[in-house]
Amino acid sequence: MKFGLFYELQLPKPAGQEQWDPDDEKKIYHDMLEQVELADSLGFDYVFEVEHHFLEEYSHSSAPEMVMAALSQRTKNIRLGHGIVLMPPGYNHPARVAERIGALDILSNGRVEFGTGESASEMELGGYRVERGRKKAMWEESTREAANMMVQTPYQGFQGEFFSMPPRNVIPKPLQDPHPPLWVAASRRETTMLAARFGMGSLGFGFETPDELAERTNEYYRIVREECFPIGHAINPALAVLTTFMMGSSDEEALERSANGPAFFSHSLGYYYNPVTGGKHQPGEKNLYDSFLETNRKANTISAKTGFIKEEDIRKDEPKEEVQRALYRAARSGTAVGTVERVNDTLKTYEENNLDVMIFVAQCGDRKHEHIMESIELFGKELLPEYKERHEKNHTKWRAEQLADVDFPINSSI
Amino acid sequence: MAKPDQIKDDDLRALIETALANMRQNKPTEAVHTLVSALHRLLELKPELKSEKLEPRPGWKMAFLTRWPQLGANWKAGSLDAEEPEIEYVRENFALSEAITYYEFMLETAIKRDA
Repeated sequence: MKFGLFYELQLPKPAGQEQWDPDDEKKIYHDMLEQVELADSLGFDYVFEVEHHFLEEYSHSSAPEMVMAALSQRTKNIRLGHGIVLMPPGYNHPARVAERIGALDILSNGRVEFGTGESASEMELGGYRVERGRKKAMWEESTREAANMMVQTPYQGFQGEFFSMPPRNVIPKPLQDPHPPLWVAASRRETTMLAARFGMGSLGFGFETPDELAERTNEYYRIVREECFPIGHAINPALAVLTTFMMGSSDEEALERSANGPAFFSHSLGYYYNPVTGGKHQPGEKNLYDSFLETNRKANTISAKTGFIKEEDIRKDEPKEEVQRALYRAARSGTAVGTVERVNDTLKTYEENNLDVMIFVAQCGDRKHEHIMESIELFGKELLPEYKERHEKNHTKWRAEQLADVDFPINSSI
Repeated sequence: MAKPDQIKDDDLRALIETALANMRQNKPTEAVHTLVSALHRLLELKPELKSEKLEPRPGWKMAFLTRWPQLGANWKAGSLDAEEPEIEYVRENFALSEAITYYEFMLETAIKRDA
C-alpha cells in the first residue's frame, strides 16, 4: 500500500467574523507547500489536490495547476495528483486541460497523476452554467478527447456533443507515455466500477471502510480483467481511498488535535452538496464555521468529536469511556487517528484488503499546521518504511497476478 | 463478485445480460432502455422497494428509489410518491458512462435483493 496526502485547502472563517483575516488564504497555501515538501522528503508517494470553485470555507483550491506547478519545483519524488480536474468544458476546455497536464508533466519530470471528475455542487454547476443532468456525459467526452490530444500528433480534431475543435497539434506533450495515469473521482460504488470499465484508477472519495473495500477490490480488478473498454491509451488499475489522519504521542492528544477537522469537513460538505442548503448559499455572507460551532454546541460531546453520531445510537458493545468510544468508532470506520500503534492497526486492515493507495486528509477544518507537520513526520518515520517494504515485497506480486491476463498497455505508478 | 449469472429471475438476468452486451457493442442508448426495462421487472419482483426508505444519517430518511441515477432516464416529477413510480426520458441519446452507471446500480441492486 502506498500513501498520499489530500488537500481541499479548507479555510473556516474565524468565529464571529464576517470575513477572513487578510493573510489567512496566503497562510494555508504556504502551509500546504511546507507540508508536501516534508512529506516528499519522508517518502510519501502522492499528493492529490482538488479543483473546486466558490465553495467558501470548504475548499479554497480553485487553481490546483498553479499549486502543482509550485510543488513541482519544491519536491523531488512525490507524485503530483489532480484530485481532480473538473472536465465538463464549461469549467475547462479539454485542450487547455491537455496543455496544462503536458506542461506540468514536463516541469515535474513525469510525476503527474491525471485525476478527472465533474463535481456535484449547485454553487459550481450553476456558477459555470454546467447542466447537472449531462455532466457525466461531458466528463466522458472531455476525458477521452483530452487523452487523445496528449497522444495524437496532430490531434485530429473533434465534432462532439459538448465541444468541437478543428485539427491542431496540442502541445506540449506529457513526458509519460502515452499519457499520465488516469483516475476518476468515485464517491459511490457505481463510479468505482465505472472506473474499472474505463481502465481508470478509482479515487475513492467516499471514505470506504475496510469491509466495503474488500468487496470493491475484488470486483474492480475482475472488471479490469474481463470487462474493460479503456477510455485512454493505457489503463491505470488502482484503487485509492481517503481517510482522515492525525497522529499524536497519545490517543487522547491525537483525538484532541483531530476533533474539529473531520467534523467541519462533514458539516461543510453536507452544506454545499445538499441542494437545499447549498443551492441557497449567499456568496460572501455566511460564516459556515459559526453554524458548525452552533451545531456542535447543540449536540452532545460524542457528536462533536465524531460527526453525526447521536447518544442513542451508541451500541452496547462499545467502550463506555468517552474517549475510548470515540476512538473505537474512529478505528471502526477506518479513520487513521491516534498513536503509531492505533493508526498502524487501522491501516493494516486496508493493507490486508489489498488497497493500492491510502490518501490522508490531514488539512481540514481548523486543524493546526504544526500538528499536521508533526503527524506527517511521525508517520513518515515510524510507519512508512515498513509499509514501503511490504508494498514491494507483497503487493506488487499480488497486482502482477491480478493483471497477468490484461492485454491493454498499463501506465500506473502503483 | 457481482455478475449477471447471480441473478435468479430469468427475465431480469436476460435484461441485464443484454444491457452488458449493448455496452460492449458501444450502444449505450440501447443499454439504458434495456436497464429501464430491467428496473420495471425488478419492481414487479420486489414491489416493497417502492416504499423502502434509507436512513443515510440518523434522522434523515430518503426513498430507496432516489438512488436510481438521474442521468436522463429520470423519475417523473412526484411519481416516487405514487403507487406506480414512472420513468421518463428527458433526452434521446446516452453516453457510455451514463449507461455504465445505470448498469452498476441495477446489477448490484438485483443481486443484493436476491431477485
